[in-house]
Amino acid sequence: MTKQEQQLFFQEIIEQHKAILFKVARTYCLNEEDRQDLLQEIMIQIWQSIYKYNDQHKISTWLYRISLNVAISFYRKNATRAGKYTVLKEQMPELPTEDKTENERQLNLLEQFISELKEIDKALMILYLEDKSHAEIAGILGMSVSNTGTKIGRIKDKLKTRFSQLKS
Amino acid sequence: MNELEIKQLWQATNEKLEESFLINRKNTEDITRISIHNFLGSMKPIKIFTLLVGILWVGIGVIALSGIYLNAFAEANKFFLFSATLQVLLTAIALLIYVYQLTKIYQVNISDPILQTQKKLAQLKISTLWATRILFLQLPVWTTFWWNETMLTDWNFLQWAITIMVTGSFTFVALWLFSNIKYENRNKNWFQLIFNGKEWTPLMKSMELLEQVNEYKTGTIEVNRRG
Repeated sequence: MTKQEQQLFFQEIIEQHKAILFKVARTYCLNEEDRQDLLQEIMIQIWQSIYKYNDQHKISTWLYRISLNVAISFYRKNATRAGKYTVLKEQMPELPTEDKTENERQLNLLEQFISELKEIDKALMILYLEDKSHAEIAGILGMSVSNTGTKIGRIKDKLKTRFSQLKS
Repeated sequence: MNELEIKQLWQATNEKLEESFLINRKNTEDITRISIHNFLGSMKPIKIFTLLVGILWVGIGVIALSGIYLNAFAEANKFFLFSATLQVLLTAIALLIYVYQLTKIYQVNISDPILQTQKKLAQLKISTLWATRILFLQLPVWTTFWWNETMLTDWNFLQWAITIMVTGSFTFVALWLFSNIKYENRNKNWFQLIFNGKEWTPLMKSMELLEQVNEYKTGTIEVNRRG
């Protein structure tokens, strides 16, 4: 790929798959400023790895790997990059007023549950909530499909317990 | 709330938030102007600099000490000579750790599976422990540099007792720390006391992360098939 082709490809995949980046950043950074930094760092790493991309993996698998690896390693972020960051625009929309309270309560509970998870469990949780197949999760995390099933089973149990506590 | 409802809640909320999440073309264009380098590229210059300074230090040490060994061994202060030799040798070992770290930096691929990449990154950070162990091992050498032959004839019991006590305790502490500063002891109080502080936070976090990777390790396989 020429440099120009790489630039076009990069812009295309960011536009088409920005949801992946957004979800990962939102899960790993509760603080708005950190989230902006993480999003920028993820995009920089995607750009810097773009020449290595081949169709051996689905583009979403490749993007999840980079995004999650960067998010988990975010504390090692190089502060000298700060000057290169540009500001992304994001506004938090209001949830619909009908059943807002119930929705908010459940969402808060889900977010709290996720925030309490360890780094790699968070990665597993995002992929599970995104309804990825066990095979795809195994490919992103780098573990066997059967082990993926076991880990998901455990995380589902924890989630179930948490939500049943809410009911009681 | 059942599994399906939880997934729907997650997906619906994200969809709403995503709609307002804008990445304009200028943002992506700015990023494509950043020159391409390795994920850990920023770590390389300082490591390469340290390596060069270390090579210079060891190089000068080897040349100077070889000169003494070959031409002036009989007249030389043996305590200084052996202490300096040991110090140069330990620095050379520390340099090998830096070479190992540089090799690891080049091996890290950010688009590899999470467990594989995070394990490499954590191991890379934890290998800093080896440099710390070597640093502590040098402790007794700094108490023997100034020793000389006149000590053997002129010193009284008290002088000897103090000197041996100082060198002995430094040696004991150095050997103890060398054999005990390791990943397995990360939860011990003394370990957390030594590695307490902001500069050690990434190291401690790497250890926690390696623990998580190891928890997931059962059944870990190399995944190279289409994901």
